[in-house]
Amino acid sequence: MASEHENMLMSMSPSVLHPRDMTEAWTFKKLLDSDAVYVAGGTLLRTQWESGQAAMPKHLIDLSSIPGLKGIEKEEHSLAIGALTPLSECRKDEHIRLHCPMLVDAIRSIAAISVRNVATIGGNIVSRVGDCLPVFIVCQADFEWNTGLSPMTEDASEWTERLQAQLPKASHLLTRIHLPLFKTTEIVPRRFGAFHKVGRREAFTPSLITVALNGGLKADGTVGEIRVAAGGGQTIPHRLFAAEKLMKGQQINRELLAAVHQTIVDGYKPKPDPFATEAYRKKTAANLIVAELWKIAAGPSDEGRERDDP
Amino acid sequence: MIHKILAERRTEMDLECEINGEPISLDVPPTRRLLSILRDDLQLTGTKVSCEIGRCGACMVLVDGQQVNSCLTMAYQCDGKSITTIEGLGSSEVDPIQQCFLEEGGYQCGYCTPGMIISVKALLTHNPEPSAEDIEEAMSGNLCRCTGYGGIIRSVQKAVSLRRNTQ
Ligand SMILES: Cc1cc2nc3c(=O)[nH]c(=O)nc-3n(C[C@H](O)[C@H](O)[C@H](O)COP(=O)(O)OP(=O)(O)OC[C@H]3O[C@@H](n4cnc5c(N)ncnc54)[C@H](O)[C@@H]3O)c2cc1C
Ligand code: FES
Ligand code: FES
Repeated sequence: MASEHENMLMSMSPSVLHPRDMTEAWTFKKLLDSDAVYVAGGTLLRTQWESGQAAMPKHLIDLSSIPGLKGIEKEEHSLAIGALTPLSECRKDEHIRLHCPMLVDAIRSIAAISVRNVATIGGNIVSRVGDCLPVFIVCQADFEWNTGLSPMTEDASEWTERLQAQLPKASHLLTRIHLPLFKTTEIVPRRFGAFHKVGRREAFTPSLITVALNGGLKADGTVGEIRVAAGGGQTIPHRLFAAEKLMKGQQINRELLAAVHQTIVDGYKPKPDPFATEAYRKKTAANLIVAELWKIAAGPSDEGRERDDP
Repeated sequence: MIHKILAERRTEMDLECEINGEPISLDVPPTRRLLSILRDDLQLTGTKVSCEIGRCGACMVLVDGQQVNSCLTMAYQCDGKSITTIEGLGSSEVDPIQQCFLEEGGYQCGYCTPGMIISVKALLTHNPEPSAEDIEEAMSGNLCRCTGYGGIIRSVQKAVSLRRNTQ
Protein backbone atom coordinates (compact mmCIF):
# COMPACT_ATOMS: atom_id res chain seq x y z
CA MET A 1 0.00 0.00 0.00
CA ALA A 2 1.25 3.45 -0.83
CA SER A 3 2.42 5.52 2.12
CA GLU A 4 1.27 9.04 2.87
CA HIS A 5 4.51 10.40 1.39
CA GLU A 6 4.03 8.44 -1.79
CA ASN A 7 0.42 9.59 -2.14
CA MET A 8 1.59 13.16 -1.75
CA LEU A 9 4.25 12.64 -4.42
CA MET A 10 1.81 11.09 -6.84
CA SER A 11 -0.70 13.91 -6.47
CA MET A 12 1.92 16.53 -7.44
CA SER A 13 2.87 15.57 -10.93
CA PRO A 14 5.40 15.75 -12.41
CA SER A 15 7.87 16.01 -9.59
CA VAL A 16 11.63 16.10 -9.98
CA LEU A 17 13.81 13.98 -7.70
CA HIS A 18 17.48 14.79 -7.19
CA PRO A 19 19.26 11.65 -5.95
CA ARG A 20 22.56 12.24 -4.18
CA ASP A 21 24.21 9.08 -5.50
CA MET A 22 23.71 6.23 -7.93
CA THR A 23 22.21 3.90 -5.34
CA GLU A 24 19.54 6.46 -4.50
CA ALA A 25 18.77 6.99 -8.19
CA TRP A 26 18.47 3.25 -8.78
CA THR A 27 16.32 2.80 -5.65
CA PHE A 28 13.95 5.60 -6.74
CA LYS A 29 13.59 4.01 -10.16
CA LYS A 30 12.94 0.57 -8.72
CA LEU A 31 10.36 1.96 -6.32
CA LEU A 32 8.50 4.24 -8.74
CA ASP A 33 8.98 1.92 -11.73
CA SER A 34 7.22 3.14 -14.89
CA ASP A 35 5.99 6.27 -13.08
CA ALA A 36 9.55 7.64 -13.21
CA VAL A 37 12.28 8.12 -15.84
CA TYR A 38 15.93 9.00 -15.55
CA VAL A 39 16.65 12.42 -17.05
CA ALA A 40 20.11 13.50 -18.12
CA GLY A 41 19.96 16.57 -20.43
CA GLY A 42 16.30 15.87 -21.20
CA THR A 43 16.68 16.92 -24.86
CA LEU A 44 15.41 13.67 -26.33
CA LEU A 45 12.76 13.17 -23.66
CA ARG A 46 11.41 16.68 -24.21
CA THR A 47 10.95 15.99 -27.96
CA GLN A 48 9.22 12.70 -27.15
CA TRP A 49 6.85 14.40 -24.70
CA GLU A 50 6.11 17.28 -27.07
CA SER A 51 5.43 14.97 -30.03
CA GLY A 52 3.22 12.65 -27.98
CA GLN A 53 5.63 9.73 -28.58
CA ALA A 54 5.83 9.31 -24.80
CA ALA A 55 3.73 10.64 -21.94
CA MET A 56 5.44 12.83 -19.36
CA PRO A 57 5.81 10.55 -16.34
CA LYS A 58 4.79 11.42 -12.80
CA HIS A 59 8.39 11.69 -11.64
CA LEU A 60 11.68 12.66 -13.22
CA ILE A 61 14.89 11.35 -11.67
CA ASP A 62 17.48 14.05 -12.32
CA LEU A 63 20.82 12.34 -12.94
CA SER A 64 22.71 15.64 -13.14
CA SER A 65 22.46 15.95 -9.35
CA ILE A 66 24.73 12.91 -8.86
CA PRO A 67 28.36 13.91 -8.36
CA GLY A 68 31.14 12.17 -10.28
CA LEU A 69 29.26 11.29 -13.47
CA LYS A 70 30.68 14.13 -15.55
CA GLY A 71 34.08 14.63 -17.15
CA ILE A 72 36.73 12.84 -19.17
CA GLU A 73 39.85 11.21 -17.77
CA LYS A 74 42.76 9.60 -19.54
CA GLU A 75 43.65 6.24 -18.02
CA GLU A 76 46.52 3.96 -18.98
CA HIS A 77 44.75 2.15 -21.82
CA SER A 78 41.50 4.04 -22.24
CA LEU A 79 39.57 7.26 -21.88
CA ALA A 80 36.92 7.17 -19.16
CA ILE A 81 33.98 9.36 -20.15
CA GLY A 82 31.32 10.14 -17.53
CA ALA A 83 27.83 9.37 -18.88
CA LEU A 84 26.56 12.80 -17.85
CA THR A 85 29.24 14.65 -19.83
CA PRO A 86 27.57 17.05 -22.26
CA LEU A 87 28.24 16.35 -25.94
CA SER A 88 29.81 19.84 -26.31
CA GLU A 89 32.40 19.00 -23.67
CA CYS A 90 33.27 15.73 -25.45
CA ARG A 91 33.43 17.58 -28.78
CA LYS A 92 36.07 19.99 -27.37
CA ASP A 93 38.03 17.56 -25.21
CA GLU A 94 41.74 17.36 -26.04
CA HIS A 95 42.03 13.63 -25.31
CA ILE A 96 39.06 12.68 -27.47
CA ARG A 97 40.27 14.92 -30.30
CA LEU A 98 43.67 13.31 -30.18
CA HIS A 99 42.76 9.67 -29.62
CA CYS A 100 39.36 9.29 -31.24
CA PRO A 101 38.76 12.00 -33.85
CA MET A 102 35.95 9.97 -35.37
CA LEU A 103 33.97 10.43 -32.14
CA VAL A 104 34.42 14.19 -32.60
CA ASP A 105 33.08 13.83 -36.16
CA ALA A 106 30.07 11.91 -34.86
CA ILE A 107 29.32 14.47 -32.15
CA ARG A 108 29.73 17.39 -34.55
CA SER A 109 27.01 15.82 -36.67
CA ILE A 110 24.54 15.65 -33.77
CA ALA A 111 21.95 18.45 -33.55
CA ALA A 112 23.47 21.95 -33.02
CA ILE A 113 25.71 23.47 -30.34
CA SER A 114 22.76 24.69 -28.26
CA VAL A 115 21.37 21.14 -27.98
CA ARG A 116 24.84 19.62 -27.47
CA ASN A 117 25.48 22.03 -24.56
CA VAL A 118 22.73 20.21 -22.64
CA ALA A 119 22.51 16.75 -24.27
CA THR A 120 24.76 14.12 -22.72
CA ILE A 121 26.83 11.32 -24.19
CA GLY A 122 25.02 8.82 -21.93
CA GLY A 123 21.61 9.98 -23.14
CA ASN A 124 22.81 9.51 -26.70
CA ILE A 125 23.81 5.93 -25.98
CA VAL A 126 20.76 4.92 -23.95
CA SER A 127 18.47 6.33 -26.67
CA ARG A 128 19.70 3.21 -28.59
CA VAL A 129 19.78 5.07 -31.90
CA GLY A 130 22.22 7.88 -31.03
CA ASP A 131 24.69 8.77 -33.74
CA CYS A 132 27.67 8.13 -31.42
CA LEU A 133 26.87 4.45 -31.08
CA PRO A 134 28.52 3.13 -34.27
CA VAL A 135 31.78 4.75 -33.13
CA PHE A 136 31.62 3.07 -29.72
CA ILE A 137 30.87 -0.26 -31.39
CA VAL A 138 33.85 -0.19 -33.74
CA CYS A 139 36.18 1.20 -31.06
CA GLN A 140 35.35 -1.69 -28.71
CA ALA A 141 34.18 0.68 -26.01
CA ASP A 142 32.88 -0.74 -22.74
CA PHE A 143 29.76 0.63 -21.10
CA GLU A 144 29.75 0.62 -17.31
CA TRP A 145 26.33 0.30 -15.69
CA ASN A 146 25.02 0.59 -12.16
CA THR A 147 22.56 -2.28 -11.86
CA GLY A 148 21.74 -1.81 -8.21
CA LEU A 149 23.79 -4.78 -7.06
CA SER A 150 27.25 -4.47 -8.50
CA PRO A 151 28.64 -2.47 -11.41
CA MET A 152 28.38 -4.27 -14.73
CA THR A 153 30.56 -3.67 -17.77
CA GLU A 154 29.49 -4.67 -21.26
CA ASP A 155 31.09 -4.28 -24.67
CA ALA A 156 29.19 -1.71 -26.78
CA SER A 157 28.76 -4.18 -29.60
CA GLU A 158 27.38 -6.92 -27.34
CA TRP A 159 24.99 -4.40 -25.78
CA THR A 160 23.61 -3.28 -29.16
CA GLU A 161 23.36 -6.91 -30.36
CA ARG A 162 21.25 -7.69 -27.30
CA LEU A 163 19.07 -4.64 -27.97
CA GLN A 164 18.06 -6.08 -31.35
CA ALA A 165 16.06 -8.66 -29.39
CA GLN A 166 15.18 -7.05 -26.05
CA LEU A 167 14.73 -3.63 -24.47
CA PRO A 168 17.41 -2.46 -22.02
CA LYS A 169 16.53 -2.71 -18.32
CA ALA A 170 14.94 0.63 -17.44
CA SER A 171 16.56 0.70 -13.99
CA HIS A 172 20.12 0.20 -15.30
CA LEU A 173 22.06 3.41 -14.99
CA LEU A 174 24.87 4.11 -17.45
CA THR A 175 27.72 5.60 -15.47
CA ARG A 176 30.84 5.58 -17.64
CA ILE A 177 32.14 4.77 -21.09
CA HIS A 178 35.62 3.28 -21.45
CA LEU A 179 37.06 4.08 -24.84
CA PRO A 180 40.25 2.11 -25.61
CA LEU A 181 43.30 3.98 -26.88
CA PHE A 182 44.44 2.36 -30.08
CA LYS A 183 48.15 2.37 -30.82
CA THR A 184 50.09 1.26 -33.85
CA THR A 185 52.14 -1.88 -33.21
CA GLU A 186 54.81 -3.77 -35.11
CA ILE A 187 52.17 -6.18 -36.36
CA VAL A 188 49.67 -3.44 -37.24
CA PRO A 189 51.79 -0.38 -38.11
CA ARG A 190 49.01 1.60 -39.80
CA ARG A 191 45.68 2.38 -38.14
CA PHE A 192 42.58 3.87 -39.71
CA GLY A 193 39.15 4.97 -38.58
CA ALA A 194 36.21 6.94 -39.92
CA PHE A 195 32.63 8.00 -39.22
CA HIS A 196 30.11 9.17 -41.80
CA LYS A 197 26.53 10.32 -41.49
CA VAL A 198 24.05 10.92 -44.26
CA GLY A 199 20.87 12.85 -43.48
CA ARG A 200 18.34 14.73 -45.52
CA ARG A 201 20.36 17.94 -45.27
CA GLU A 202 24.04 18.70 -44.90
CA ALA A 203 23.93 19.97 -41.30
CA PHE A 204 21.65 19.89 -38.23
CA THR A 205 19.75 16.89 -39.52
CA PRO A 206 18.63 13.54 -38.13
CA SER A 207 20.55 10.67 -39.65
CA LEU A 208 19.32 8.35 -42.36
CA ILE A 209 22.51 6.32 -42.35
CA THR A 210 25.55 6.32 -40.08
CA VAL A 211 28.63 4.16 -40.58
CA ALA A 212 31.87 3.77 -38.66
CA LEU A 213 34.96 1.69 -39.21
CA ASN A 214 38.11 1.13 -37.20
CA GLY A 215 41.06 -1.09 -37.89
CA GLY A 216 44.68 -1.51 -38.88
CA LEU A 217 46.76 -2.60 -41.84
CA LYS A 218 49.76 -4.90 -41.51
CA ALA A 219 53.12 -3.98 -43.00
CA ASP A 220 52.33 -6.02 -46.13
CA GLY A 221 49.13 -3.99 -46.66
CA THR A 222 46.72 -6.74 -45.65
CA VAL A 223 43.92 -6.00 -43.18
CA GLY A 224 45.15 -6.95 -39.70
CA GLU A 225 42.05 -6.04 -37.77
CA ILE A 226 38.77 -4.35 -38.62
CA ARG A 227 35.39 -3.54 -37.14
CA VAL A 228 32.56 -2.05 -39.20
CA ALA A 229 29.15 -0.89 -37.96
CA ALA A 230 26.13 0.82 -39.47
CA GLY A 231 23.02 2.47 -38.06
CA GLY A 232 21.02 5.64 -38.66
CA GLY A 233 17.42 6.78 -38.29
CA GLN A 234 15.56 4.39 -35.99
CA THR A 235 17.93 1.50 -36.77
CA ILE A 236 19.80 0.22 -33.72
CA PRO A 237 23.39 0.21 -34.99
CA HIS A 238 25.02 -3.15 -35.46
CA ARG A 239 28.30 -4.67 -36.51
CA LEU A 240 28.66 -6.02 -40.03
CA PHE A 241 30.38 -9.26 -39.09
CA ALA A 242 30.30 -10.88 -42.54
CA ALA A 243 31.98 -7.88 -44.18
CA GLU A 244 34.66 -7.83 -41.46
CA LYS A 245 35.35 -11.54 -41.95
CA LEU A 246 35.70 -11.09 -45.69
CA MET A 247 38.37 -8.42 -45.24
CA LYS A 248 40.53 -9.95 -42.50
CA GLY A 249 43.94 -10.93 -43.83
CA GLN A 250 43.17 -9.65 -47.34
CA GLN A 251 44.66 -6.92 -49.51
CA ILE A 252 42.12 -4.17 -50.19
CA ASN A 253 41.57 -4.23 -53.95
CA ARG A 254 38.76 -3.80 -56.45
CA GLU A 255 37.58 -7.42 -56.24
CA LEU A 256 37.53 -7.44 -52.45
CA LEU A 257 35.63 -4.15 -52.32
CA ALA A 258 33.01 -5.42 -54.77
CA ALA A 259 32.47 -8.45 -52.54
CA VAL A 260 32.38 -6.29 -49.38
CA HIS A 261 29.81 -3.99 -51.00
CA GLN A 262 27.52 -6.93 -51.79
CA THR A 263 27.98 -8.39 -48.31
CA ILE A 264 26.96 -5.10 -46.68
CA VAL A 265 23.90 -4.80 -48.92
CA ASP A 266 22.96 -8.35 -47.87
CA GLY A 267 23.86 -8.05 -44.18
CA TYR A 268 22.89 -4.54 -43.07
CA LYS A 269 19.33 -4.48 -41.68
CA PRO A 270 18.08 -0.89 -41.64
CA LYS A 271 14.61 0.19 -40.55
CA PRO A 272 12.93 2.02 -43.44
CA ASP A 273 10.69 5.06 -42.90
CA PRO A 274 8.65 7.29 -45.24
CA PHE A 275 11.81 9.29 -46.03
CA ALA A 276 14.13 6.52 -47.22
CA THR A 277 13.63 2.93 -48.33
CA GLU A 278 15.51 -0.06 -47.03
CA ALA A 279 17.23 -0.46 -50.41
CA TYR A 280 18.46 3.15 -50.38
CA ARG A 281 19.85 2.78 -46.87
CA LYS A 282 21.63 -0.48 -47.65
CA LYS A 283 23.20 0.90 -50.81
CA THR A 284 24.26 4.16 -49.14
CA ALA A 285 25.84 2.33 -46.18
CA ALA A 286 27.74 0.04 -48.56
CA ASN A 287 28.88 2.99 -50.70
CA LEU A 288 30.12 4.96 -47.68
CA ILE A 289 32.08 2.05 -46.24
CA VAL A 290 33.60 0.94 -49.53
CA ALA A 291 34.57 4.53 -50.46
CA GLU A 292 36.35 4.84 -47.12
CA LEU A 293 38.16 1.52 -47.60
CA TRP A 294 39.23 2.66 -51.05
CA LYS A 295 40.78 5.80 -49.53
CA ILE A 296 42.56 3.67 -46.93
CA ALA A 297 44.02 1.43 -49.63
CA ALA A 298 45.09 4.46 -51.64
CA GLY A 299 47.26 6.18 -49.05
CA PRO A 300 48.04 7.24 -45.49
CA SER A 301 44.91 7.84 -43.47
CA ASP A 302 43.93 10.92 -41.57
CA GLU A 303 41.94 8.62 -39.31
CA GLY A 304 38.68 9.60 -40.92
CA ARG A 305 38.93 13.28 -40.11
CA GLU A 306 36.69 15.32 -42.40
CA ARG A 307 37.17 18.96 -41.54
CA ASP A 308 38.25 20.17 -38.16
CA ASP A 309 41.08 22.36 -37.06
CA PRO A 310 43.28 20.94 -34.30
CA MET B 1 12.48 5.57 5.39
CA ILE B 2 12.86 5.57 1.60
CA HIS B 3 9.69 7.66 1.23
CA LYS B 4 11.17 10.24 3.59
CA ILE B 5 14.29 10.41 1.40
CA LEU B 6 12.10 10.65 -1.70
CA ALA B 7 10.29 13.63 -0.24
CA GLU B 8 13.57 15.27 0.80
CA ARG B 9 15.04 14.91 -2.68
CA ARG B 10 12.06 16.51 -4.41
CA THR B 11 12.42 19.97 -5.93
CA GLU B 12 10.17 22.50 -4.36
CA MET B 13 8.03 24.75 -6.52
CA ASP B 14 10.52 27.53 -6.64
CA LEU B 15 13.33 28.64 -8.86
CA GLU B 16 16.21 30.80 -7.73
CA CYS B 17 18.35 32.15 -10.52
CA GLU B 18 19.62 35.31 -12.10
CA ILE B 19 17.93 36.73 -15.18
CA ASN B 20 19.72 39.51 -17.04
CA GLY B 21 21.80 40.28 -13.97
CA GLU B 22 18.86 40.44 -11.54
CA PRO B 23 18.49 37.78 -8.84
CA ILE B 24 15.03 36.27 -9.14
CA SER B 25 12.89 33.87 -7.14
CA LEU B 26 9.86 32.31 -8.83
CA ASP B 27 7.13 29.97 -7.72
CA VAL B 28 6.99 27.62 -10.73
CA PRO B 29 6.72 23.85 -11.25
CA PRO B 30 10.21 22.36 -11.71
CA THR B 31 9.40 21.04 -15.19
CA ARG B 32 8.04 24.34 -16.53
CA ARG B 33 9.93 25.29 -19.66
CA LEU B 34 12.26 28.26 -19.44
CA LEU B 35 10.62 29.58 -22.62
CA SER B 36 7.24 29.85 -20.84
CA ILE B 37 8.82 31.38 -17.75
CA LEU B 38 10.48 34.08 -19.82
CA ARG B 39 7.65 34.91 -22.18
CA ASP B 40 4.51 34.18 -20.14
CA ASP B 41 5.57 34.70 -16.53
CA LEU B 42 8.09 37.51 -16.96
CA GLN B 43 6.87 39.09 -20.23
CA LEU B 44 10.40 38.91 -21.66
CA THR B 45 8.99 38.42 -25.16
CA GLY B 46 12.24 39.24 -26.97
CA THR B 47 12.90 35.49 -26.75
CA LYS B 48 10.81 34.11 -29.60
CA VAL B 49 8.83 30.88 -29.92
CA SER B 50 8.42 28.79 -33.02
CA CYS B 51 9.10 25.04 -33.33
CA GLU B 52 9.23 24.30 -29.57
CA ILE B 53 11.38 21.20 -30.15
CA GLY B 54 14.89 22.60 -30.37
CA ARG B 55 15.02 22.84 -34.16
CA CYS B 56 14.75 26.55 -35.04
CA GLY B 57 16.76 28.53 -32.48
CA ALA B 58 14.18 31.32 -32.13
CA CYS B 59 14.08 30.73 -28.36
CA MET B 60 17.86 30.82 -27.83
CA VAL B 61 19.16 32.21 -24.51
CA LEU B 62 22.46 32.07 -22.65
CA VAL B 63 22.66 29.89 -19.55
CA ASP B 64 25.93 30.58 -17.74
CA GLY B 65 27.23 32.03 -21.01
CA GLN B 66 26.33 29.01 -23.15
CA GLN B 67 23.67 29.07 -25.83
CA VAL B 68 20.71 26.78 -25.11
CA ASN B 69 17.20 26.36 -26.47
CA SER B 70 14.83 27.67 -23.81
CA CYS B 71 12.05 25.45 -25.21
CA LEU B 72 14.08 22.35 -24.21
CA THR B 73 15.18 23.63 -20.80
CA MET B 74 13.20 22.97 -17.63
CA ALA B 75 12.99 25.28 -14.61
CA TYR B 76 14.97 22.96 -12.33
CA GLN B 77 17.83 22.95 -14.86
CA CYS B 78 18.14 26.74 -14.39
CA ASP B 79 18.35 26.71 -10.61
CA GLY B 80 21.37 28.70 -9.44
CA LYS B 81 22.26 29.65 -13.02
CA SER B 82 22.69 32.98 -14.73
CA ILE B 83 20.36 33.48 -17.71
CA THR B 84 20.77 36.14 -20.35
CA THR B 85 18.03 36.93 -22.84
CA ILE B 86 18.13 39.36 -25.74
CA GLU B 87 16.76 42.04 -23.36
CA GLY B 88 19.89 41.57 -21.24
CA LEU B 89 22.28 42.20 -24.13
CA GLY B 90 21.39 45.68 -25.26
CA SER B 91 19.90 46.97 -22.02
CA SER B 92 21.92 50.19 -21.71
CA GLU B 93 23.06 50.65 -25.31
CA VAL B 94 22.84 48.66 -28.52
CA ASP B 95 25.21 45.70 -28.33
CA PRO B 96 27.94 45.83 -31.02
CA ILE B 97 26.58 42.54 -32.41
CA GLN B 98 23.13 44.09 -32.76
CA GLN B 99 24.70 47.10 -34.47
CA CYS B 100 26.41 44.83 -37.00
CA PHE B 101 23.10 43.12 -37.80
CA LEU B 102 21.57 46.58 -38.37
CA GLU B 103 24.40 47.72 -40.61
CA GLU B 104 24.81 44.54 -42.67
CA GLY B 105 21.14 43.73 -43.27
CA GLY B 106 21.27 40.70 -41.01
CA TYR B 107 17.49 40.50 -40.78
CA GLN B 108 14.29 40.99 -42.74
CA CYS B 109 11.18 40.13 -40.70
CA GLY B 110 13.42 39.95 -37.62
CA TYR B 111 11.77 36.96 -35.98
CA CYS B 112 14.92 34.83 -35.91
CA THR B 113 17.17 37.78 -35.00
CA PRO B 114 17.14 37.63 -31.16
CA GLY B 115 18.12 33.94 -31.34
CA MET B 116 20.77 34.64 -33.96
CA ILE B 117 22.31 37.43 -31.88
CA ILE B 118 22.40 35.24 -28.76
CA SER B 119 24.25 32.53 -30.73
CA VAL B 120 26.77 35.06 -32.05
CA LYS B 121 27.30 36.35 -28.51
CA ALA B 122 28.09 32.83 -27.29
CA LEU B 123 30.38 32.18 -30.25
CA LEU B 124 32.44 35.35 -29.81
CA THR B 125 32.69 34.90 -26.06
CA HIS B 126 34.27 31.47 -26.46
CA ASN B 127 36.02 31.96 -29.79
CA PRO B 128 36.85 35.57 -30.69
CA GLU B 129 38.53 34.57 -33.99
CA PRO B 130 36.15 32.02 -35.52
CA SER B 131 36.82 30.50 -38.93
CA ALA B 132 34.04 30.37 -41.55
CA GLU B 133 33.48 26.78 -40.49
CA ASP B 134 33.25 27.74 -36.80
CA ILE B 135 30.64 30.38 -37.67
CA GLU B 136 28.63 27.85 -39.67
CA GLU B 137 28.73 25.35 -36.80
CA ALA B 138 27.80 27.96 -34.18
CA MET B 139 24.85 29.22 -36.22
CA SER B 140 23.59 25.87 -37.53
CA GLY B 141 20.88 25.69 -34.84
CA ASN B 142 19.35 29.02 -35.90
CA LEU B 143 17.02 28.93 -38.87
CA CYS B 144 15.98 31.97 -40.91
CA ARG B 145 13.10 31.87 -43.41
CA CYS B 146 13.84 35.26 -44.97
CA THR B 147 17.43 36.27 -45.53
CA GLY B 148 19.13 33.34 -47.24
CA TYR B 149 21.79 33.76 -44.52
CA GLY B 150 24.09 36.01 -46.62
CA GLY B 151 23.36 39.12 -44.53
CA ILE B 152 23.61 37.12 -41.31
CA ILE B 153 27.06 35.75 -42.16
CA ARG B 154 28.20 39.27 -43.14
CA SER B 155 26.92 40.59 -39.80
CA VAL B 156 28.83 37.93 -37.87
CA GLN B 157 32.02 38.59 -39.83
CA LYS B 158 31.66 42.31 -39.16
CA ALA B 159 31.14 41.65 -35.44
CA VAL B 160 34.34 39.56 -35.45
CA SER B 161 36.43 42.30 -37.09
CA LEU B 162 34.84 45.04 -34.96
CA ARG B 163 35.79 43.13 -31.83
CA ARG B 164 39.32 42.57 -33.16
CA ASN B 165 39.78 46.26 -33.99
CA THR B 166 38.47 47.57 -30.68
CA GLN B 167 40.65 45.36 -28.48
C1 LIG C 1 16.73 19.40 -32.10
C2 LIG C 1 17.31 18.06 -31.77
C3 LIG C 1 18.16 17.45 -32.68
C4 LIG C 1 18.72 16.20 -32.38
N1 LIG C 1 19.58 15.65 -33.29
C5 LIG C 1 20.18 14.47 -33.01
C6 LIG C 1 21.12 13.91 -33.93
O1 LIG C 1 21.43 14.47 -34.98
N2 LIG C 1 21.70 12.71 -33.58
C7 LIG C 1 21.41 12.07 -32.42
O2 LIG C 1 21.99 11.02 -32.16
N3 LIG C 1 20.53 12.58 -31.55
C8 LIG C 1 19.90 13.76 -31.81
N4 LIG C 1 18.98 14.28 -30.92
C9 LIG C 1 18.57 13.49 -29.76
C10 LIG C 1 19.25 13.83 -28.41
O3 LIG C 1 19.47 15.19 -28.26
C11 LIG C 1 20.58 13.11 -28.21
O4 LIG C 1 20.43 11.73 -28.42
C12 LIG C 1 21.15 13.38 -26.81
O5 LIG C 1 22.47 12.93 -26.74
C13 LIG C 1 20.33 12.76 -25.69
O6 LIG C 1 20.95 13.10 -24.46
P1 LIG C 1 20.14 13.71 -23.21
O7 LIG C 1 21.12 13.84 -22.11
O8 LIG C 1 19.40 14.93 -23.58
O9 LIG C 1 19.14 12.50 -22.96
P2 LIG C 1 17.73 12.47 -22.18
O10 LIG C 1 16.69 13.09 -23.04
O11 LIG C 1 17.89 13.00 -20.80
O12 LIG C 1 17.53 10.91 -22.09
C14 LIG C 1 17.40 10.08 -23.23
C15 LIG C 1 17.05 8.67 -22.77
O13 LIG C 1 18.15 8.06 -22.10
C16 LIG C 1 17.84 7.75 -20.73
N5 LIG C 1 19.07 8.09 -20.00
C17 LIG C 1 19.78 9.25 -20.12
N6 LIG C 1 20.94 9.15 -19.45
C18 LIG C 1 20.96 7.92 -18.87
C19 LIG C 1 21.91 7.21 -18.06
N7 LIG C 1 23.08 7.77 -17.70
N8 LIG C 1 21.60 5.95 -17.66
C20 LIG C 1 20.41 5.37 -18.02
N9 LIG C 1 19.50 5.99 -18.79
C21 LIG C 1 19.77 7.24 -19.22
C22 LIG C 1 16.61 8.56 -20.39
O14 LIG C 1 15.81 7.93 -19.42
C23 LIG C 1 15.91 8.62 -21.75
O15 LIG C 1 15.19 7.44 -21.97
C24 LIG C 1 18.40 15.55 -31.17
C25 LIG C 1 17.54 16.17 -30.25
C26 LIG C 1 17.00 17.41 -30.54
C27 LIG C 1 16.11 18.07 -29.55
S1 FES D 1 11.25 27.34 -30.32
FE1 FES D 1 12.99 26.55 -29.32
S2 FES D 1 14.25 25.88 -30.91
FE2 FES D 1 12.41 26.45 -31.95
S1 FES E 1 14.66 37.53 -40.76
FE1 FES E 1 12.73 36.55 -40.96
S2 FES E 1 13.15 34.60 -40.14
FE2 FES E 1 15.08 35.46 -40.22
